[in-house]
Amino acid sequence: MTKERHCPLVDLHVSSPNAMRLNRLMRMSRRDTLMTGMAGMGVLAAGTAVSAEPATGADPELERFMKVSERLTDRPSLDPRIGQALYERILQSGPERKAQLAKLADLLDGSSYDSASAFAKAAEQADPAFKDVIHDLMTGWYRGVANGKVVVYRSALMFDITKDAIYPKTYAAGGPFYWTTQPPEVDRPTGGPALSPSKFDVEPT
Amino acid sequence: MSSEQNLSADVVIVGSGVAGSSIANELARAGISVIVLEAGPRVDRQHFVDNFRNLENKPSYQGPFPSTPWAEHPPNQITPNKYLHTSGPNAEAYQQVYLRMMGGTTWHWAGCAWRYLPSDFELKTRYGQGRDWALKYDDLEPFYYQAEVMMGVCGPDPKVEDLGSPRRQPYPMEALPISYAAQQFRKLISEKTPYRVVHEPQARNTKPYDGRPTCEGHNNCMPICPIGAMYNGGYSVYHAEAAGAKFVPNAVVYKIERDSANKKVTAVHYYDPDKGSHRVTGKYFVIAAHCIETAKLLLVSADEKSPNGIANSSGHVGRNMMDHTGVQVTFISGDKALWPGRGPLETNVIDNFRDGDWRGDRGAYLVHMVDDNQVDFATQLAISKGYVGKALEEQIRYLASHTVRLFSHNEALPDPDNRLTLSTTHKDALGIPHPDVYYKLPEYTVRSCEHTRGLFKNLIGLMHGTDEQWTPGYFPQDHPSGSTIMGVDPKDSVVDGHCRTHDHENLFIASSSVFSTVGTGNITLTVAALALRVADTLKKELLHA
Amino acid sequence: MPDFKTVFWSFLVGGTVLGGLSAHAARAADVDQDVMNRGAYLATAADCVACHTKQGGTPFAGGLKIATPMGDIISTNITPDPDHGIGKYSEHDFEQALRRGKRRDGENLYPVMPYVSYAGMTDQDIHALYVWFMHGVKPVAETPPATQLSFPSNIRLTLSGWNMLAGSEKQETGDSATYDTLRRGKYLATALEHCGTCHTPRNVMLMEKSDQYLAGSPLAGWYAPNITPSKTGGIGDWSEDDIVQYLRTGRVKGKSQAAGPMGEAVEHSTSHLTDADLHALAAFIRQVKPMEDDADHQPRDGFGKANDAPDIRSGELTRIDNLSHKSPANLFDANCAACHGQNGAGTVDQYAPSLYKNSAVGAGRPDNLIMTILMGVNRTTADGHASMPAFGSTGDVQRLDDEEVASLVNYVSKTFGNGSYNVTADQVAQVRKNNTPH
Repeated sequence: MTKERHCPLVDLHVSSPNAMRLNRLMRMSRRDTLMTGMAGMGVLAAGTAVSAEPATGADPELERFMKVSERLTDRPSLDPRIGQALYERILQSGPERKAQLAKLADLLDGSSYDSASAFAKAAEQADPAFKDVIHDLMTGWYRGVANGKVVVYRSALMFDITKDAIYPKTYAAGGPFYWTTQPPEVDRPTGGPALSPSKFDVEPT
Repeated sequence: MSSEQNLSADVVIVGSGVAGSSIANELARAGISVIVLEAGPRVDRQHFVDNFRNLENKPSYQGPFPSTPWAEHPPNQITPNKYLHTSGPNAEAYQQVYLRMMGGTTWHWAGCAWRYLPSDFELKTRYGQGRDWALKYDDLEPFYYQAEVMMGVCGPDPKVEDLGSPRRQPYPMEALPISYAAQQFRKLISEKTPYRVVHEPQARNTKPYDGRPTCEGHNNCMPICPIGAMYNGGYSVYHAEAAGAKFVPNAVVYKIERDSANKKVTAVHYYDPDKGSHRVTGKYFVIAAHCIETAKLLLVSADEKSPNGIANSSGHVGRNMMDHTGVQVTFISGDKALWPGRGPLETNVIDNFRDGDWRGDRGAYLVHMVDDNQVDFATQLAISKGYVGKALEEQIRYLASHTVRLFSHNEALPDPDNRLTLSTTHKDALGIPHPDVYYKLPEYTVRSCEHTRGLFKNLIGLMHGTDEQWTPGYFPQDHPSGSTIMGVDPKDSVVDGHCRTHDHENLFIASSSVFSTVGTGNITLTVAALALRVADTLKKELLHA
Repeated sequence: MPDFKTVFWSFLVGGTVLGGLSAHAARAADVDQDVMNRGAYLATAADCVACHTKQGGTPFAGGLKIATPMGDIISTNITPDPDHGIGKYSEHDFEQALRRGKRRDGENLYPVMPYVSYAGMTDQDIHALYVWFMHGVKPVAETPPATQLSFPSNIRLTLSGWNMLAGSEKQETGDSATYDTLRRGKYLATALEHCGTCHTPRNVMLMEKSDQYLAGSPLAGWYAPNITPSKTGGIGDWSEDDIVQYLRTGRVKGKSQAAGPMGEAVEHSTSHLTDADLHALAAFIRQVKPMEDDADHQPRDGFGKANDAPDIRSGELTRIDNLSHKSPANLFDANCAACHGQNGAGTVDQYAPSLYKNSAVGAGRPDNLIMTILMGVNRTTADGHASMPAFGSTGDVQRLDDEEVASLVNYVSKTFGNGSYNVTADQVAQVRKNNTPH
């Protein structure tokens, strides 16, 4: 049923978005009920969630996750703060992930691998299901995405390895017109893939 | 019982995007009272920036803008889509996206600010295709300039680079220096082809302008400029408010009331988010609600006196839907590293296919080498190929520095069968029907796209490209137009050359919906220029009344 | 106690100024060009234009509204128009106004006019200024609205008492162009640039405390900091070249940037001084008496380092109408990090400056950080146009409310500064209220 009534909104023509916020708090309505599903979800943790250093050695599972991650990225060390956040989110992507990660760590402990590729190849041979787990790890560390959600954006490794040439969108730090200069040349890669290829769907805009 | 005493103004505008807010600004500055009714909410840039960074699918332009239940907009360009329902042979080519919120869709445009060519206004006369507009380039030229000043457009000196649209004034700002990648592309085109790459005119600051900073190349014009260096309708909202215009957010107009003779509009009615209804009276009314929502509103308002919808004695409301449907390809260049994505998104264009005698046979088009950061794309691609560790890092660097994306804006023609109607199956939270659109790409456009494909293949060869990925079919360029088409004859058009509806003397439409043909450049500057011309007409009539 | 310091500046000072004057100079063909040049230079050094031009107005035609605790004072037309400006002033009338604050009709000028400083000018320089104002400035036939103050400030006579108490600069003699470095520096600092007008604290009678010269003072929402050579409270860690660069360009990497009134002073005045004069001014400032500071106990530009925290995120989106407040770190990320970097390092070229090792952030007082966020930065010199959008109620890029600004200021101080701020939304509201253009 529609109802004719006076319009309080018109008084808000000069109000700021923040006045709108207050105004909305003052009156509960159906629309607020609709919103409660989303309220509070947007609290973003940039810089705060990580202010407490993860206690080293406190979580043996996390330590094993970091060891596997370091092997698969060919890196001697990775940021444990990101590692903790990724590990938590990757576990959320499926009930089997925890056991799979543990088994992958067992595999790494069981033998010595001199490169990420060697380890990944061996893992896929040992169990084809490891391919997805390794994809999760690569997507987590390099894209900063786990379980389909952004865990880190600016701090993802894909931006670390390209920082001599380009900035993450919205974080350009070159100053106006930096883009006119010549970026570094890049040689043709020599390494080959370690895992069997997967289907790549370009996400729609 | 009604709120009409509370809500009345000389001019009532529906929609707060670049068209509605710039009219409001002009009128308010002339001392005319204005109320702008915006279906969506007030918004904050910081929330969009934050949403963008939290968004997994970064190329999704709509992604950072999840709509409200009372002012839904399309969530993405996927077919089927839960708001804009398209059908027909080229349904996917009309999956347009736009935003319903204060400031409008220019929150996520790329700032491309083309003037149309003089020939664009007389396609029928010159090439025997489509229609002529009910105005000429020269009628619009002063308003083009006014729009360029309002937005802050940077562009090349016509003596150095003539873009084909005669100018009486230089661009308000110097052209944007193009990126290294664009410089290399420009060099290749100039050395290896008969074509040229020009500096695209852009509503983007190459110096501090109008309280906004210089562009810093965040490469995120779409979906959100994080620093406000690019113009959007939100600026005109602020300016109009400072001049005294009233903006009412969350006001979803659903009915247009006329006098007993059905000649003049007397009021519009809107729902608030709780479906409380409000009536707003005025002397003049402007519908500036985007091509799709404008036609939808006119159709939704049908009643006994106007059973086919408001301003629709011609039956053309919702018909003649057009776009710059495009062709897109991504490939890996075999030449030196380009590192696209340093600087703004769209800065350079091949403009050789904007005009020529061939327009009698096929549509015109623009080619953009999209200067888009490819790091995320490269990473996804390399992971999917099975790389890990150092080999993955090498791949990411190589792909990110060598990926090239080209896309085109191809010209459509008005075809009455390409039509927007009200959904009989889907309604929004307020009970207003969703829009349905039937779309079949005109053969004129298909031939244009084929020509573009040939050009792209040629360019891929010149760049020793591999791994080409063609976007299947045709893709929408979000330039919907034509749904309230302009013309001199009231029998086959909805508005006249001043964007006044033939049927209702005090009802104007400010939107790309009035375009008689879709033109050969991004649509926004022409939308703004037409809107400023509407403001000029209203000022003359109200101040000399 | 009234915050009288606000008298002297307004953030409203307009943009372009000195352009368009040369055309008129032709009229002065019969006048000694050396005297004209000297007068023009002195007018720049004394920054007359800052107050005597309204935003977007003709240079020296007045009309700028200057907010003071007594009410708004509107600057007058000092172009040589005989009816609307100072065209009927004799050189003696001109000298009396400049040095004594006396109008041609004998009334007292409001002490917004820094005549206690200009009293130090030499006769020769007063003459050059007079010649230039009469022949080098284009007459403008318009009278700005009259200042209307309420009782008792409107009684110009009461100012006589103040004038008797206020110590004026001692008049210099001889040819100021021939002074040695320190004398020249002192002359520039005191008689012309009137640095102390803003940077020297005032007593209950609103007079500059001469024993605390340049020790810092609040100013229209901003804080003109302690610029004595104290290593703890002042700028003792700045070299002469640092000061020269600051006055010429408005910025010294890793130290400070000029915004607000100082940005205007740099743009309109100090950036136009000769190299020799800038060095003289810097040399003089570096040898004034070092003063401790109540709030600054370490160099203001010595705090902070890059933040290395990764940007761990929720991955959740908020609906477009959900404008609820964000966490301080999130506010910084969404509003500041695009230019200043999430690590606070600024852009590579320091177009957007680093937030650590930055006086505006490391200062013991939050005033300048609050004002910079609310009002932005807009400063043009030969070095370029420094521009940061305003995030206050006049900004178009993003308007932040009082709580958000307070939250940001405290976060920035904690992350990149000395962490001492505890700014409340009420404080920001007060600053905003006092600085809303009207």
